[in-house]
Amino acid sequence: MDALIQQYPWLNELLMGFLGLTWKHVVMWLVGALLIYLAVKHDYEPVLLLPIGFGAVLANIPHSSAVSQVVNEEGFLWVLYQGGIANELFPVLIFIAIGAMCDFTPLIRRPSVMLFAAAAQFGIFATAVGASLVGFKFEHAASIGIIGAADGPTTIYVASRFAVDLLGPLAVAAYSYMSLVPVIQPPVVRALTTANERKIKMGFTGEEPVSQTTKFLFPIMITLIAGIVAPISVALIGSLMFGNLLKESGVVENLSNAAQNELANLVTLLLGITIGGTMSAERFLTFDVFLIMALGAVAFVFDTAGGILFAKLLNLFSPTKINPMIGACGISAFPMSGRVIAKMALKEDPTNFIIQHAIGVNVAGQVASVVAGGLVLALIPALLK
Amino acid sequence: MMNYDALVKSLEMMGIALPTMFLVILVFIGATKMLHKAFPAPAEEEGEDED
Repeated sequence: MDALIQQYPWLNELLMGFLGLTWKHVVMWLVGALLIYLAVKHDYEPVLLLPIGFGAVLANIPHSSAVSQVVNEEGFLWVLYQGGIANELFPVLIFIAIGAMCDFTPLIRRPSVMLFAAAAQFGIFATAVGASLVGFKFEHAASIGIIGAADGPTTIYVASRFAVDLLGPLAVAAYSYMSLVPVIQPPVVRALTTANERKIKMGFTGEEPVSQTTKFLFPIMITLIAGIVAPISVALIGSLMFGNLLKESGVVENLSNAAQNELANLVTLLLGITIGGTMSAERFLTFDVFLIMALGAVAFVFDTAGGILFAKLLNLFSPTKINPMIGACGISAFPMSGRVIAKMALKEDPTNFIIQHAIGVNVAGQVASVVAGGLVLALIPALLK
Repeated sequence: MMNYDALVKSLEMMGIALPTMFLVILVFIGATKMLHKAFPAPAEEEGEDED
């Protein structure tokens, strides 16, 4: 073959795809195909997993022009990576979109639900410890732990800063497990609660009205408090709350709609395919990635357990009993977790409607996960000194 | 296999971050309650919310 190529140099140009192909590329095509299959067939976070899956295929075609890093011949996925991930722009833009979609009214009505959300961030730190136990260095262990925030943009934001090499697998793990909440949470809930606890009725506390002024001031207040505690988190919490301010101000409906629709769709599309573009075979087919996928599941299990056990702890002291299942909704996977838990309660007792409480805790999870992400962002460099 | 230095730092992170987070959340709770109390919904908004 070499002689043939020497005689006909143009053959090299034509056959470089075949000649560069290895089994690892084919395995990555299968990984990409699996993600696309899960998105299309099972509706697992399709807006993310489909672009990620296709991006993975593009990144694993030998000499792919899509991911070329050759000067003046940069591939579009590399350009998007430099312009949107390496500088943390895409996660921040996604947060503006999420903020514009969020309704914090249930949280303002019952702010105490934020405690469950705080407890449900336990998985982040437990997983970081677990990742250190299996040999990851601290900044990577903390970035793996952040999968437990159950929040894709936060995971990408932290990883792009402290674990660039693990960005692809971390994003895939975060989004995959978020879509698997209906599979992961119920067994953990059943293992940690008794049938009687799952049947606890919390009652309908009424829809106490929240003024528009309160809704408008809430994002500003949260940004100021979180920003003062962890200035490094301002980009994350600030963009989330800015999106919410657009919505609640009531005077920029066009901008709010644009954030919820055009911005969300466009950035999600670019984010997904760019993340997929980072999933080259040499980075993805490693034992570390296998460990990351396993640790991601651990993170979600510990999050769920943290929320439930905290609710059970409160029940020891509170005269009004809480259904401990709502603690599991403190993860950021909104509104899936709230719905899963509400369904579980109905399954135990068809007259037990806890959806109002479950969704309230789930909304709080959005805020708590960003706070936890901010603290991790602040503590990684501080502890590395 | 185990990264001892990372383990110590991870435990340290947990020890600092978890209490700090609960503290921040408690501040959020207090501030949100005050905000809600300071700007109660007028009667007409009550009707809208119930819809």
